[in-house]
Amino acid sequence: MTNRVDRRVLLRALVVLVASAAAFFVLTALGTPALAAGTDTAVTHAVASSGEAAAHATQAGTTITAEAAAPAKPGDNRVVQQLVNGLVFGLLLALASVGLSLIYGTTGLSNFAHGEQVSLGALLCFFFTTPQPVSLPLLPFEFSIGLPLIPAAIAAIAVSAGTGWLQDKFLWSPLRRRRVSIVQQMIVSIGLSLAMLNFIQWWFGAERQRLTTSIDERIDMGMFSIGISTLWSVAISLLCLGGVAYFLMRTRTGRATRAVSDNPALASASGIRVDKVVRLVWIMATGLAAVGGILLALYDNAAAFDVGARLLLLMFAAVTLGGLGHPFGALVGSLVIGVAVEMSTLWVGTDLKYAVALAILILVLLVRPQGILGRPERVG
Amino acid sequence: MSDAPVIVHADDLYAGYLPGIDILNGCSMEVREGELIGIIGPNGAGKSTFLKSLFGLVPIRAGSVKLGDEDITNMRADELVQRGIGFVPQNNNVFPSLTVMENMEMGTYQNPKAFKAAWERIGDLFPKLVDRKNQRAGSLSGGERQMVAMGRALMMDPKVLLLDEPSAGLSPDRQDETFVRTREINKTGVTVIMVEQNARRCLQICHRGYVLDQGTTAYTATGQELLKDPKVIELYLGTLGA
Repeated sequence: MTNRVDRRVLLRALVVLVASAAAFFVLTALGTPALAAGTDTAVTHAVASSGEAAAHATQAGTTITAEAAAPAKPGDNRVVQQLVNGLVFGLLLALASVGLSLIYGTTGLSNFAHGEQVSLGALLCFFFTTPQPVSLPLLPFEFSIGLPLIPAAIAAIAVSAGTGWLQDKFLWSPLRRRRVSIVQQMIVSIGLSLAMLNFIQWWFGAERQRLTTSIDERIDMGMFSIGISTLWSVAISLLCLGGVAYFLMRTRTGRATRAVSDNPALASASGIRVDKVVRLVWIMATGLAAVGGILLALYDNAAAFDVGARLLLLMFAAVTLGGLGHPFGALVGSLVIGVAVEMSTLWVGTDLKYAVALAILILVLLVRPQGILGRPERVG
Repeated sequence: MSDAPVIVHADDLYAGYLPGIDILNGCSMEVREGELIGIIGPNGAGKSTFLKSLFGLVPIRAGSVKLGDEDITNMRADELVQRGIGFVPQNNNVFPSLTVMENMEMGTYQNPKAFKAAWERIGDLFPKLVDRKNQRAGSLSGGERQMVAMGRALMMDPKVLLLDEPSAGLSPDRQDETFVRTREINKTGVTVIMVEQNARRCLQICHRGYVLDQGTTAYTATGQELLKDPKVIELYLGTLGA
């Protein structure tokens, strides 16, 4: 029965995806103003993965990939290219936002500081990977680390996950124990977000930092092209999201996490140490945010101190669209948002692409208030 | 039964949800092993608060609770589960997004090796749950949810089971079924402490009853004695259906 229900909701999500893709395809096929615009603009859109990438399209790497991705005929494979870009962006967004969903599910908290965890992950990776002399806050001297990318990424993820442990141990857990209301906790998270944003800017500066100087080689797949490092990012995202799904559905602690998400008081009455589960969720959420931040920075060629803050609304939109607190809501919502954001650039200006994502959020919620995967509960 | 050792002893409890506002004002109770105890009283008497304070869900400001010889006053719920106390809340007593089987699994969270044997035992007691094992608990009817809730609490093979108004919101035939099940559970040797609004039905099946009034223990006697007590009839049971 469960499998049947799950298949049904997945099918529903697929229908939404296909319908939105088809709608965009029809609109583009009808020849909207954006298609009629110059090829350069459209091609730049084709490889722009987010607002930053579009704004910095003059950077060497992006320009090269833009040229590589140039379609032979305008309007021929642009839709497919944008669909692929959207799916990739959606997967990376899912990785960044799945932790937001897990924290909301287990504690009820809408954590506004989650965006900064994404930025922190990316910039910590830069910190560990850069061969330039770097400094730590409050330390009077500089030193160089210059680790290779993969060990640097692992170190950044570990440190980020550590910040999740620290936050829960010294901030969120005491607030919960003192029965501080969820709204008050949310205000605290907004304050923490601002504090972290300023701290990260003070530490790393306002300029965009590149995690790697190498230029991504692109593979021509016929209808679209994709970078090799992007393929790796997609594989890592799928692995991480699959891991989270396996943890939640197949392990005892994962099922306990879902139980805490459903009803913390009853979970405690069943013998589950709710505080331990929530701590684990904080560690996982911040670790996954770091993975998402690093992969987004690689996909975008660079990361800035406010990359997470810019993505926060999209992450909230994805989590809400997918179904608040639903374990796979973040994934489905992110894919829809990713595709909508990237494909909207075919017919509206890049500046409006996030607005399109939020318009889709409103439309879907008007039809399905519980989100795509959310299920209405029986009353009585 | 009167020779059996005391398993739960609550002594002069003062407790409440908010600082400075006590709902319990000196509640005491003594429960012997294997007993089925009913707690009745008017609305607002503190029945559910009393049960929750025993399970560490409402802070006790004065008095003590003992399980056997061990002081368990204000102990965490998961520690009480470890010591063999199960609790079935009145509302929100299942995990709606988990399947029936997963709900049962949460019952043996502290001892996963016991799951298989416990599931067979609960399956014998509630065969309907076996048929619905892969169904989400959130899609079950009120009576079925009550079965899941009781089954989950029994999975951990508790020494003491605390039931908070198990018949609330159920149709009369489902209420009867719930009382019969409670009696069956008690017959397997589990000590049951039950808070009930349906006082008459509760006193019919329980060994002893406690009548709470304004946060204090007003009367205690056997279920049959309380059913015949003119004061209890006048104040709490009413004359209809006597």
